[in-house]
Amino acid sequence: MTTILFSLLAVFSLFVFHNLGKVKASKKQMDRENRIKWGRNRKPNVQQNRDGSKIIEGQAEEVDGDSKK
Amino acid sequence: MSKHSALNTFGRSGNPAFTRNFDNAGAIPHTERMTLDGAVNKTSILLALCFGGAFVGWNIPALTIPSLIIGMILGFVTIFRSPAKAGATAPFYAAVEGIALGGITMFAEMQYPGIGIQAIGLTFGILASLLFCYKSGIIKPTENFRLMLFSATMGIFLLYLVSFIMSFFGSGIGFIHSNGLFGIGFSVFVVGIAALNLVLDFDFIEEGAEQGLPKYMEWYGAFSLMVTLVWLYIEILRLLMKLRSR
Repeated sequence: MTTILFSLLAVFSLFVFHNLGKVKASKKQMDRENRIKWGRNRKPNVQQNRDGSKIIEGQAEEVDGDSKK
Repeated sequence: MSKHSALNTFGRSGNPAFTRNFDNAGAIPHTERMTLDGAVNKTSILLALCFGGAFVGWNIPALTIPSLIIGMILGFVTIFRSPAKAGATAPFYAAVEGIALGGITMFAEMQYPGIGIQAIGLTFGILASLLFCYKSGIIKPTENFRLMLFSATMGIFLLYLVSFIMSFFGSGIGFIHSNGLFGIGFSVFVVGIAALNLVLDFDFIEEGAEQGLPKYMEWYGAFSLMVTLVWLYIEILRLLMKLRSR
């Protein structure tokens, strides 16, 4: 009897989760400014040069004096 | 210094499965991106495996301790290996944890008949109501919310770790396991923290689908939800046992 009750509860819970989970979150939830930034807008890796100027990783480019523009 | 610089130092979520980041989301073909449906389907698969495992554990209680240890190892392997391989380990984790939970529930049922149904009902009741609250925007997770949950989860983890180590020396932190008012209050607090971690799991999955993360992150999101659900179930069972033993 307990096994049947457990099974029924398990199937019902799975059904509810499966249906409710696929509903997309409301705009009130998604379109707000204070959302958690899961890795978005991460700070770029900024390093400081000896002369105090900053090098931003991925943006710096070596400039060759002979290179054509 | 940034207001939330602690997040960058200590990780970005209370759930250790979420310490990975969302890098390189842009360069993924559309068909190989994470979707909400995919993550929910995979969570359902893991839940079904967990229920199947619980059936085995209920009937063969001798497997409880070995499956607890194997489940813990599989959990750490999934967290610390590349998330791309979560699809290979997460189903095994769910099945093995199911066996452990089935055995634990069987032992609890022998002491307090009917407690298993109450614990499962409460766990999925909390899951459904928090899912509804999240989807409808009643609960809005923010950076402060995440930082608070991370601190509380780490605090609980450290307390359990200290208590576990102290138990080897014949001592322990008494109130954690007591059925007094303080012990029950502590359990209610832990259940609350575990339940709120579900909100972070939902947000991670929604955000991942919106950002178009790689397909394998569906398994990772599903695994994270399973970790939280297993924790929540165990804490609810502990709370109910404390209440019934009074």
